Amino acid sequence: MIKRVEVQYRGIFQKNLAKKIGSDIVMIASRMGQKAFSNGRYSDSPERNGIPCKYFAFVSPDLSEEELEAECGAKLEIDEADVSVVLDDTMCKGVEPWGWHGVRAINERVTKDACLVVISKRPHEELLQFIGKKPYNYRLAVLDGNASLAGLWVNKDDMTHEHVLGAIAAVDPAIISIEAVEAYLLAKTKDKKRAEAARAAYNSLRQEAKPPRVKNVTPKEGIVWTHEIPILPKWHEMREGAVVPAVPRGFQMGPRGQSRNTGFKRGTTKTQRPAVRFDLCTKCTLCWAECPDECFDPTTDGYYDIDYQYCVGCGKCAEVCPVKECIVMVDELQFHDDNSPWEDWKKDPKTYITSLEAKKGKDRVSYPVVTGKGIVVTKGEVMPEGKIVPVRKTEEVEV
Amino acid sequence: MTVTMEKPKTGKTDGVYEREDLLNGCQAVAQGVCLADVDVIAAYPIRPYTEVMDALSKLIADGAFDAEYIIADSEHSQFEIVKHASSVNARAFGGSSGTGWMYGMEALTVTATDRLPPMFVVGNRALDDPGAFGVEHNDAMAVRDLGWLLCWVTTPQEALEHVLIGYRVAEDKTVRMPMALAMDGAFLTHSQHMVKIPSLAAAKKFLPPYDLAERRLHPDNPISVAPQVNEDWVMEIRRQNWEAAKRARGVIKEAYKEFNAIFGERYTSPYFDEYMCDDAETVLIGVGTVAAPGRTAAKRLREKGQKVGYVNLRWFRPFPTEELRACLSRFKSVGVIDRDFAHGSPDNCGILMHEVRSCLYPAKNRPAIVNFIGGLGGRDLSIADAQKMYDITAQAAKKDSMDGFITWIGLRE
Repeated sequence: MIKRVEVQYRGIFQKNLAKKIGSDIVMIASRMGQKAFSNGRYSDSPERNGIPCKYFAFVSPDLSEEELEAECGAKLEIDEADVSVVLDDTMCKGVEPWGWHGVRAINERVTKDACLVVISKRPHEELLQFIGKKPYNYRLAVLDGNASLAGLWVNKDDMTHEHVLGAIAAVDPAIISIEAVEAYLLAKTKDKKRAEAARAAYNSLRQEAKPPRVKNVTPKEGIVWTHEIPILPKWHEMREGAVVPAVPRGFQMGPRGQSRNTGFKRGTTKTQRPAVRFDLCTKCTLCWAECPDECFDPTTDGYYDIDYQYCVGCGKCAEVCPVKECIVMVDELQFHDDNSPWEDWKKDPKTYITSLEAKKGKDRVSYPVVTGKGIVVTKGEVMPEGKIVPVRKTEEVEV
Repeated sequence: MTVTMEKPKTGKTDGVYEREDLLNGCQAVAQGVCLADVDVIAAYPIRPYTEVMDALSKLIADGAFDAEYIIADSEHSQFEIVKHASSVNARAFGGSSGTGWMYGMEALTVTATDRLPPMFVVGNRALDDPGAFGVEHNDAMAVRDLGWLLCWVTTPQEALEHVLIGYRVAEDKTVRMPMALAMDGAFLTHSQHMVKIPSLAAAKKFLPPYDLAERRLHPDNPISVAPQVNEDWVMEIRRQNWEAAKRARGVIKEAYKEFNAIFGERYTSPYFDEYMCDDAETVLIGVGTVAAPGRTAAKRLREKGQKVGYVNLRWFRPFPTEELRACLSRFKSVGVIDRDFAHGSPDNCGILMHEVRSCLYPAKNRPAIVNFIGGLGGRDLSIADAQKMYDITAQAAKKDSMDGFITWIGLRE
């Protein structure tokens, strides 16, 4: 028997965290007398900021180490996951796991009755608005918490690592038992709090816990996965000399008017997206000029539309925008489509602005890499179209 | 003089040869580059190949030839310039020797993967340290597994002609691989012979203009060459390179046929020459200038009634596997001469030995085979040495053991 654990994480930011989880699964399973090993792969080489990546751990009570390695090691991707841990809930919108060959559902490798563990503050139903349907039942466990940056040495240790170990013990005790987790953490850190954190997470995901945090997901739940998975050409179908066609030249005003490389979208890299208040825009061109991924399309009326499929959520546009509240970074899970914001605004300015301000709400997340200024939450306020208000009074709320 | 230097067998050569001149190997290559109407030359000096570039710069300065002549700051830059020029559809030329060749190795590897067809001349030189100028083949051999065409010539006449033949093969639309034209440092690069120089019209008739067509890097043909790829692409690219190397064998054959049709029956066989091999029992095989003592010794031993012959291997890449297997399996014993080394390899043989032995493994009739390491660092390989090698090789057919399997020739011991 083999148990496969997959830890899905954001490149660089959560790399050490994911690796630590993988390592400790091996250490704990080994102490339980099982054979285990762990490995990881970059989603892109070299790994870059925010891109979805994976770390794996494999455990077996009966196989030899070499057999386990032969079954699971030296592979780019695992075939199936008994537990898939998602360290950042924005990845529920899908991941481009390697080579950018299409956007894959977050639960793609989760097998029948296996468990997808998502660290999130959101209810199951909300997450299932983004997660693809499976043809069989599986479990969705929501482990209370935020996307952790504890793996970065500059960030505070929030014990996400211990929580995840406890969560795995709860949803699949054959991998690691909670007793073994506690004993290991105590022996390793001599810190009771860490063992307690694991136990708390374990308790929160037990069957009898109230409210129940592990949901049995049926084939009816989730969304129909529409992202196309490209079929790679055979060797004799490829152009010779490592030649690929360039992005065709061409430019038109308006949404998606610039030609872009359709084989290299990186939208799943973002945890937040620039939300644009066109009514506040001074048409200064800075967002368009500074965007490192050239996601902005000039429109006939002098605005700059965004192609969200190519936006990696770096936040540069929000940083350079001179108008307060014109471009702000908003949690990606507030959005259900990649429609042109400019078109939406043109269609119905009032609805666009109202819903945008509602989305901003409290879900504005700020990664330190983006602004370095901490978290500022602003109460929404509808602005009349076309009116430019240089600086608005904002109410700052600590989150 | 070798067999290939004998006069053309047919009289159809009127007008194809313009004049005759005394040229060394380097100067002959330079003449070949003029006749091939090369567009871009990148130069960086290292003995012994440098005189190729000296000769070319003089030809350009004299107004006899027109090409972009770029002096690079190192071999690495030099080879990159050549590669990039080739990618924009310029016929490009470079060259080097010994450690200079090795210094630019990164550029040499990617030129092969990018399937571009420039030509590089390699004036074979020992790999320093110790500082040595003499011939050894390990420098050129270093590209043997990377997707290069690799060919050795033995005379200035062949050197000139193989600039034309080399471009013809490399630039063929079914091939498009970089071409390394190797010649023994000093013994060929600096050895002067009378060379017949073809007319430009005849050269043009043989060598069509370079056309990279759909792979030409140009704003009107928007492509990306060699982007970053993931694990999903590299195997397919390697497989394509393999296919090109296979196709090159057919193109080589065609090229010699066309060459013979224009310039007279200069070459009897495209991949290798057999000398006195028809009824031979014992043969030696080697690459480069060792052919001269090898063939001369064979001729003299024949006079004494010994059934010996010499095989001069010209094309090392692509390796003429089937043809050489059929050829060598006719004999009782084969001696392989290596002017190179492969330290720590199986039986500590030379590189050519490994290739020949591997080629013969599936043969129905496997001859006895022995290896000679000789002439390293530019040491002589004399007629007497060759006679000794024939003797040892003939003995091998009568032995069951591997005694004398490998012999260092000319070593002080």
